[in-house]
Amino acid sequence: MTPLAASRPGSPEAPNTRDWHGWALDRAPFLVACLMLAVIATIYGSKQTGVFTLDELNLDTAAAMTLMLAATGQTIVLIRGGIDLSIGGMISLGTVIAATRFTDDPATVLFWSLAILALGLAIGALNGLLISVLKLQPFLVTLATWSILNGVAMIILPTDGGSVPGWWIGFGYLQFLGLSSPVWMLVALVVFWWWFRSTRLGITIQATGSNEKSAFLSGVSITRINVTTYALSGLFAAGAALYLTTQTGSGSPTIGKDYILPSVAAAVIGGVSLFGGRGHLAGTLVGAFILTLIGNLVFVLKISSYWQPVASGIILLLSVLASSIADKAARGRMR
Amino acid sequence: MSEFLARNRLILLAYAGMVLLLLVTAVFSPGFLSASNLRSTVVLAAFVGIVALGQTFVIIGGGIDLSVPWVLNCAAIIMTLLCGGQDLPLAWVAPLVLAGGAGIGLINGVGVAKFGVPPIIMTLATNVILQGLILVVTGGSPTPPAPGLIKFLSVGRIGPFPVIALIWLLLTVAATILLSKAPFGRHLYALGTSVTVAEFSGVPTARTTILTYVISGLTAAFAGILLTGYSGQAYLGMGDAYLFTSIAAVAIGGASILGGSGHYLGTVAGAMVLTILTGLLPALNLSSGALLVVYGAVILITVSLGSEAFAGLARLLRSSAHKGEA
Amino acid sequence: MDLVVAKGLSKRYGGIVALSEATFSAHAGEVHALLGENGAGKSTFIQILSGAVRHDAGTLKVDGADYRPTDPDDAQARGIAAVFQELSLIPDLTVEQNIWFRREPRTLLRTVDRAQLRRRTREMLDRYEFPPLRPDVELRRLTLAERQIVEIAKGLAKDPRVLILDEATSALPAREAEWLLGLTRRLASEGRLVIFISHRMAEVRAIADRLTIFRNGRTVAAHEAGGVSDAEIVTQMIGRNLDRLYPDRVATATERVALRVTNFSSGRLDGASFSLREGEVLGVGGLQGHGQRELFQALFGASPATGTVELWGKPVAITSPRAALTGPDGIALVPEDRRGQGLLLTKSVRENLTLAVIRRFTERGLLSSRKEAELVREMVDFLRIKAQTPDQLAGTLSGGNQQKVIFGKMLLTQARVLLLFDPTRGVDVGTKGEIFQLMRDLAAKGYAILFHSSDMPELVHVADRVMVLRNGRVAAILEGEKISEESILGAAMLEGEAA
Repeated sequence: MTPLAASRPGSPEAPNTRDWHGWALDRAPFLVACLMLAVIATIYGSKQTGVFTLDELNLDTAAAMTLMLAATGQTIVLIRGGIDLSIGGMISLGTVIAATRFTDDPATVLFWSLAILALGLAIGALNGLLISVLKLQPFLVTLATWSILNGVAMIILPTDGGSVPGWWIGFGYLQFLGLSSPVWMLVALVVFWWWFRSTRLGITIQATGSNEKSAFLSGVSITRINVTTYALSGLFAAGAALYLTTQTGSGSPTIGKDYILPSVAAAVIGGVSLFGGRGHLAGTLVGAFILTLIGNLVFVLKISSYWQPVASGIILLLSVLASSIADKAARGRMR
Repeated sequence: MSEFLARNRLILLAYAGMVLLLLVTAVFSPGFLSASNLRSTVVLAAFVGIVALGQTFVIIGGGIDLSVPWVLNCAAIIMTLLCGGQDLPLAWVAPLVLAGGAGIGLINGVGVAKFGVPPIIMTLATNVILQGLILVVTGGSPTPPAPGLIKFLSVGRIGPFPVIALIWLLLTVAATILLSKAPFGRHLYALGTSVTVAEFSGVPTARTTILTYVISGLTAAFAGILLTGYSGQAYLGMGDAYLFTSIAAVAIGGASILGGSGHYLGTVAGAMVLTILTGLLPALNLSSGALLVVYGAVILITVSLGSEAFAGLARLLRSSAHKGEA
Repeated sequence: MDLVVAKGLSKRYGGIVALSEATFSAHAGEVHALLGENGAGKSTFIQILSGAVRHDAGTLKVDGADYRPTDPDDAQARGIAAVFQELSLIPDLTVEQNIWFRREPRTLLRTVDRAQLRRRTREMLDRYEFPPLRPDVELRRLTLAERQIVEIAKGLAKDPRVLILDEATSALPAREAEWLLGLTRRLASEGRLVIFISHRMAEVRAIADRLTIFRNGRTVAAHEAGGVSDAEIVTQMIGRNLDRLYPDRVATATERVALRVTNFSSGRLDGASFSLREGEVLGVGGLQGHGQRELFQALFGASPATGTVELWGKPVAITSPRAALTGPDGIALVPEDRRGQGLLLTKSVRENLTLAVIRRFTERGLLSSRKEAELVREMVDFLRIKAQTPDQLAGTLSGGNQQKVIFGKMLLTQARVLLLFDPTRGVDVGTKGEIFQLMRDLAAKGYAILFHSSDMPELVHVADRVMVLRNGRVAAILEGEKISEESILGAAMLEGEAA
């Protein structure tokens, strides 16, 4: 991207037709992500038996689900053209509340689960309100709320600990039709997205991220859109926290920060634009799978696990470069 | 002079906040204003301040540098490994490590300015890659102790003054000259305000952008070297806290995260505020959790004070007070 | 009974009166044209009508009932829709999503009913015989003209009783423009009121039933279209202040060629060749979007181009604005978009003025405030920039003074070839006169000026020669007596009408 691109008149002589080439360029980042996932799965499968089985799918999805939930909220915010760093604090706080309040009584668990989800919704709405009413930058607002939520989590539970009931931990092992509950959650996420992106709300969020001024001129209330967007992100972060406790069985006041930037990375690897308006959850979910599978790959290749962050960083850079090259090519075709 | 006050309102506010905090702390913890305590506060603030120097330049230019933690950490580890506790190798190790930091900055800058990669993604990627590479290379084993000279630089004293405070002062003077008195500063503020306008005015925008990341890599590496002297050796994760504090110091110091405004003098106050808060809370018997809550609140309040909406509100209140009508 | 009636309608922005006691009436089933120069108050009037801004005084009635819309949604509820030049479309949504944005048909699941969306879109596009448009293409893939057509469809989709078209034909090629004129007539025959703004007299003549003329924020006359001659309309539009606006045109051009451009192409600009002489003001005209913008941007190095460029007899390769601003041999641009390309709004007048010439007051690597102050004072005095102090923020200046600051920034570079792209847009009349005088003064000093204006009379009265661009090529270069609005328009449209 050259700095001047923005000032140039857009797409002078674009053909008013759509060919497969342009279609592919448009989806290049997503296709590249799918290709990378296929390559990783193939290498993994060649080194390890039983990779392409339901058991493996159940295991990997269970491992990736926290990131997927967090990244779903992040994807909505990114499509709006914002960013939400506070999900890290919300995840920590959620696990801590669950680990200190849950008892063996299902009613108590239900009550506190709903409370955690409601808290996520409220904190997110507050983020959106601060951003629109005070006209503040999402990055700083959510950085500040991340710090505050993290602090509250540390006050409630200074170190990792607490516990959740045994049956709660068993959630991930529940199966239906051979598929584990996390896989069904994945299905639910896909169905949710298929529904959400074609509701008026979904379209309006995308439109606002694509061009805030045009959306405003078309009568969109920016404040309402911000509040809704960040509230959804907070809700998904709270959901991620609840799911995480089924995996870890305890609370941690610091665990949330491990999901902040990876949630952004998963979305970007999957082709979601940081500038708003473009991207799909499908890409994000592929991105989350890639980031999770790299860990397995490093393990079966018997190389140092320290290569894992190196590989994720390189994959992140590759996908951003791919989308920037595809963008340039698409622009070139329009001249 | 009211022009000056208006222009630098946010920086002055940061200093006012710093003084206020010092006074409050003195009330709750009478020993806080002692020379030795102030010295240790300044030493701790200096590390934040040095890392935040590069971050200030990057943010004024409209970017952000998330690679700070592991540039710092890598510099610390490589320096201690290569020196093996001896002073003499520093003669070549220090320039090498600093050049390495600058090199990472160069990669960040080129990715952002030439390839159009969003700063958040570019610097996030270099951060995790560095993190992995240094672990692969060292295997996470403990490093030799820091050389004596480095210890002297970070905890030593010349007369009543900590050496690192003097280093910080020198860097502050240098940064101020760069921002206020050098062509680079003009280019930087123009770039951060509007890339297009800067480009149309003949400003070398790509070069200026790259330079900010190079400076940030340099200061992070330098802080990493110095920090080993403070903690005695290098350890994994020693840079993690500096990502948040460096950005927070810049924000509290009055710079806009969108770029184009702010000054390192404000960041200095921001670094001091953060460090004083860290010292204040134990005196109030508050936990580290409470510290994070206070950090978040302070950031929210300071950025609100600088926001357009707040300025508009203030104008509205003033004008309605004058005219007696809303 | 009249559908829309306005009496004594007024609007001020700070100290500037945008609309003063405007009177207007129009009935259902007519095409009502609004005429007037840029800044005459037409835009303000339709912004009030469409709910984008609120009026300060006067009454507005729709169908006999008081009408004071709070926002565009409110106006729409009363059956009024506007198609503005400043588009309200979303780049990443498809054509059909844009047309029905926020009013999409929905299924039981509350999702958008895509089948119905497609059907409704097709129905409307067919019914009004729209030019071919694929409903499922994202808007960012369309040309400017196609986007304008989508914007019109978006307005029509609201099924309005009053449709406002703000220079909707200016971005359209000839055939599509003709379609729009037909559409306008048809909408009127369906019993709607179409309020039509255009600078093209022929179009107004072709379709308007009645017309209202604006001048200096006032409505000066309303006519039945058949009962008034072109000459009368022009006189009423222009008024009498024409003489004082434009300076005397004294020929100062020498034989020396300052800028020679050969076979120059960039985007829509397709092989333009011309030369500009020392001391000359060369106007660049033609219909919008025929390569003027590309010519200016590419000559300044802001977008890539092919062809050869010679400055003062030497071939040069200008690949960036930085390469263009090389001092006395350089080439400087006063850009189109004052706020987006020209000015750092949140920085001081001083910093803006000297941004391009930092080297001129750098001594041993450091800035000299004394030398900078001298340069600033020189320019503030020369251009009579009205700022309280040089440290006043540029964004707080009036439009005219902002433009002067940009002129100052470029003059300080000492470049003697100046590219001025629509330098008087959004500038008050007084400053306009000053800018024209400045251009003639600079020409007399040996500067060479390439001057584009969207206001044709400016080209006619200020330029020594006028070059007309059509489809990215030089269609004509008019000189002396041959320069007139008619001849410029003729050269600009000839081929378009033949096609």
